[in-house]
Amino acid sequence: MFQLIRTKRHRELALVALFLVPSLAIFTLYRIVPLFWNLGLSFTEWSPFKPAKFAGLYHYEEMLFYDDVFWTALWNTVVFMASAPIAIALALAVAMLVNGDIRGRNVYRAIVFLSYPLMTVAVGIIWRWLFDGKVGLINYVLRGLGLTEKGISFLDSFEWAMASVVVAAIWQVIGFFMIILLTGLQSIPRNLHEAAAIDGAGAWQRFRRVTLPLLRPSIFLCLVIGIINSFTSFDLIYVMTGGGPANATELLITYVYRAGFVKNQFDYAAALTVALFVFFLGLTWIANRASGGDAGAVETGE
Amino acid sequence: MGRHPTWPIHLALVAVSFVMLVPFYWVLKTSVTGENIFSYPPSVVPRDVNLFYYVDVWYYIPFVRFLFNSVAVSAIAVVSNVVFNALAAYALTRRFPGRKWVILLFLSCMMIPFQATIIPAYLITQKLGLLNTHLGLALPLCSTIVCIFVYKASFEAVPRSLIDAARIDGVPDWQIIFRIMLPLSKPAIATNVILSFIWSWNSFLWPLIVTRDKAMQTLPLGLSTFLSYLENTTGALYAFCVMVLVPGIVLFLLAQREFIQGLTSGATKG
Repeated sequence: MFQLIRTKRHRELALVALFLVPSLAIFTLYRIVPLFWNLGLSFTEWSPFKPAKFAGLYHYEEMLFYDDVFWTALWNTVVFMASAPIAIALALAVAMLVNGDIRGRNVYRAIVFLSYPLMTVAVGIIWRWLFDGKVGLINYVLRGLGLTEKGISFLDSFEWAMASVVVAAIWQVIGFFMIILLTGLQSIPRNLHEAAAIDGAGAWQRFRRVTLPLLRPSIFLCLVIGIINSFTSFDLIYVMTGGGPANATELLITYVYRAGFVKNQFDYAAALTVALFVFFLGLTWIANRASGGDAGAVETGE
Repeated sequence: MGRHPTWPIHLALVAVSFVMLVPFYWVLKTSVTGENIFSYPPSVVPRDVNLFYYVDVWYYIPFVRFLFNSVAVSAIAVVSNVVFNALAAYALTRRFPGRKWVILLFLSCMMIPFQATIIPAYLITQKLGLLNTHLGLALPLCSTIVCIFVYKASFEAVPRSLIDAARIDGVPDWQIIFRIMLPLSKPAIATNVILSFIWSWNSFLWPLIVTRDKAMQTLPLGLSTFLSYLENTTGALYAFCVMVLVPGIVLFLLAQREFIQGLTSGATKG
């Protein structure tokens, strides 16, 4: 009898494990296998119509010692990432404004959030045109204010291109950060503020000593998202500048695309991808450590 | 707080809203007049409103074809996410040997951004013969770990007694999922639908790599191709932008709460 129950239970569990198959198959096919394949590819000399040859560290040497574009792309990725604190600060300001007891705050929230779920390609086209040197709205405003005589071609200029792309990126992500920070703000108990006020803390002091420390997890979450975005923001760069002028806005991800799918150097692009991935893991690990281990943590229910 | 006047806050928020909305207004205005392109200085209020550019987009580029491709890819992605993720999440709520390892595997997969796998992913799709197909476009997005955990959290909140009762009555597991778990997990389903829809609908890099001919392009790809041969010289580009953005905006306005909840739970869990 017990034997019967055991086998029945086993059969049941086997069936349940079957439920995992579709998802596991997709992750194996598109996450796990590619990761190792990519690693292998980075050590070989290979292109689509040639047999593979072991190349050792050849691609890595080339990347680290002879490829200036790689270092430019790496640096640009860091710059792009460094814009996250600006976005977070702005988002925090907006979040605090809409956290108050004011009329129409849901409308304001919706307006600020609206840009986030939209198609980045279209957002890029809109901003590309706002930044246009001749007919762009931004130049029109600058000229109207008398700040510039002839228009600045923001996206074609070596100095302005990165900043312009960053502005567009911030515009799109700010609503998302706002919502995350707002959730954080709302979880701060009201009486903490009241107690601090009774103790004579001014508004600024309350912000520094009560709000900011308690917002730490939310801020770190935003920071991690900012890091992830700097590695994945392909669409915006591709549409707005294509990585130019002269690699001024080339990020690691756009460079991987260019090396792999424009120049057809799959093996070299694989080495670049490995560098991107290692850099990414290192940064998220540091961010996680710095936050005390709970930014972006998932409860496994254990 | 109550004693302070609220108008400075409103003023600041109106300014913020202005910055957030002006790009939309400007694009909409250009798409119905085209005047900022041909005349300078531009006027703030649209003059001569017409829909010529929309007609252009409709007739000169295979807009309907792009739309169909986008809808097909998103439909595949949404349906398989809703079903596959529910199956996987249900399995994870049951105790079976190796469960811990599967969860660990999922969590580590989450650390691999899809962008870090595009080259082998392309080669695999090629080997499967799925380049340039709707299935190939949707496949990498057909199950997402974040969404599995969203389901799992919701399934765990379903009272145990209910499940046990069903099991004693001999209800098979797949029926427990579809008859009991899912009807009690509507917010989780909404999150799954919204996240998989947004990810597949807006997806650009993957279609850029996988599609070969114009007939298989999705909307974002069609839009970027259009840009590459027209540059900024026509209002049709902006009409195209509006046509692409409007479905997203309408969906967002209809299901605002679900959108915001879904996207933030996607982030806090991912």
